[in-house]
Amino acid sequence: MSNALAQRQTALTRTILIVFAIIFAAPLVVATLTSFKSPPELTRVLSLPSELYWQNYQAAFERMGRSFFNSIAITVPAVALSILIGAVAGYPLAYMRGSSGKLVYFLLLTGMLVPFQIVQIPLFFLIQRLGLYDTIAGMWLVHTAYAVPFCTFFMRNFFASVPRSMYEAALIDGCSPARYFWKLLLPASTSGLAALAIIQSRAIWNDLLFAITLTSSDAARPVTVEISGFASSLQVEYGPLMAATLVSVLPVMAAYLLFQKSFVRGLLGGAGK
Amino acid sequence: MPPRLKMPNRTTRTHIAFLALPVALFVTFYIYPIISSIHLSLHSWDGFSPSMRWVGLQNYVTLLGQPRFFNAVINNVTWVVFMLIVPTGTGLLLAALLDRGIRGESVFRILFFLPFTIPAVAVAAIWRWMYEPSNGLLTTVLELVGLGGLAQNWLGDPAIVNFSLMGAVAWWTTGFAFLVFFAGLRNIPTECIEAARIEGATPWQTFWKVSFPLLWPSTIIVLGMSAIDAMRLFDVVWATTQGGPAYSSEVLAVQMYDLAFGRFAMGRASAVAVYLLLLSAVIIMPYIYYMSKRVTESEAE
Repeated sequence: MSNALAQRQTALTRTILIVFAIIFAAPLVVATLTSFKSPPELTRVLSLPSELYWQNYQAAFERMGRSFFNSIAITVPAVALSILIGAVAGYPLAYMRGSSGKLVYFLLLTGMLVPFQIVQIPLFFLIQRLGLYDTIAGMWLVHTAYAVPFCTFFMRNFFASVPRSMYEAALIDGCSPARYFWKLLLPASTSGLAALAIIQSRAIWNDLLFAITLTSSDAARPVTVEISGFASSLQVEYGPLMAATLVSVLPVMAAYLLFQKSFVRGLLGGAGK
Repeated sequence: MPPRLKMPNRTTRTHIAFLALPVALFVTFYIYPIISSIHLSLHSWDGFSPSMRWVGLQNYVTLLGQPRFFNAVINNVTWVVFMLIVPTGTGLLLAALLDRGIRGESVFRILFFLPFTIPAVAVAAIWRWMYEPSNGLLTTVLELVGLGGLAQNWLGDPAIVNFSLMGAVAWWTTGFAFLVFFAGLRNIPTECIEAARIEGATPWQTFWKVSFPLLWPSTIIVLGMSAIDAMRLFDVVWATTQGGPAYSSEVLAVQMYDLAFGRFAMGRASAVAVYLLLLSAVIIMPYIYYMSKRVTESEAE
């Protein structure tokens, strides 16, 4: 290929990428600028704020500060529980031979196609009967239970990629299957667990459906419900709304940026094989 | 002891003990509520009164006669098609372009992926602002380049509200497809690409004949997740338009939520949910079956 042609192609590639990068960045940039603008400046979308108007953040925090902490209190334990349950279910399914294991695995996988609407009404009454309506513990239980299919799928495939010789050697040395799981397999699977933890953090932090169905007050309402109410009110104050939105975005965004590599590795090494 | 009653060995006992809790959760939170919803869908109930009235299949029949219901079904199917094609195709394009060794690769990678990490409600809040009819970014930019006449009431016009929502969702989910494809491309051994180049293949041919077939594991993940997300779609639509204006952007999940928790028509809402489950099963079951089979086969090799 001639050099000039190659150069032209590189320039074209770069141009297309830059155009897309601008499209991808623009909404976030505009939202950030808006969050620092005073009300009269809001109508000039493309201008820079004349000064940093922190009152938006103050207003946002007064309105949703509590829900932000609820989100943290829901997400952290629920992520830990859901990856643990996925590992506990994935382990036997990765090692069982014969049709019963396959059947259980297939059954659990079908959970992935279930739209949550089919469980929503009975779940609402079930959680009320259990006395867990509008509680943070109730949200842990629900997020853990509905994570079973995906987390099992993910961890089972990850465990299946761990060399079986390790398992057989441990058993010959007199290690029990349960001890092998806790002492050897789990510590050897940190990259898979980390990847799943990131996926689950996003899923649980970002959840709206379970949260609007099962919470009703500041006792357990997470930030997503607050923002949804905020955004759909008749007179939307975009300054505080953008401030609240950006704050709600930060934890998961930071987690992904920090652990991007292990996310990709886990996704392809585990589920992708 | 007869052989049938033989105690299972230690490994089997461990397996059963490990599976007990996950299976119990699955039965309690998936199977029981699904059966309960199907039962509920055959009744008329407001959620409060002590007794439900048996109506048989009437909820299902009534829905079939409603334009509102059909509109939501069509929207759901359109979303599946859209999610399978647009974010997936755009993600593949960006991954393939970036894989050619462009300077500033990590900056592009982060920018393309960033929107995927944010909550659906944040997507809704941000895009309501972008689509604001008089001062939003979209209208402002169109006016700036002299195309102000093309500006629309992006979320208020039933004819275009779905396209507006799809634009926001494409912005949101393309990053996932992009990252999975990009990682997949990086996993392809360079010898394969080199060999094709030495044989005289153009980059275009190399991509479609060599790279793309080797990307199959990435493709199957992206397509499966897109279809599942499309069937479960609720958050973005609810937080952006609540299904409006005049139900035009409603998907089945939003309609079900409105019927159940807005109008307390629990039976009717359950019937909507059963239809959604059936639609989802028809579209996604082959994928689940394929995934459960494929893993077994790859281990047998």
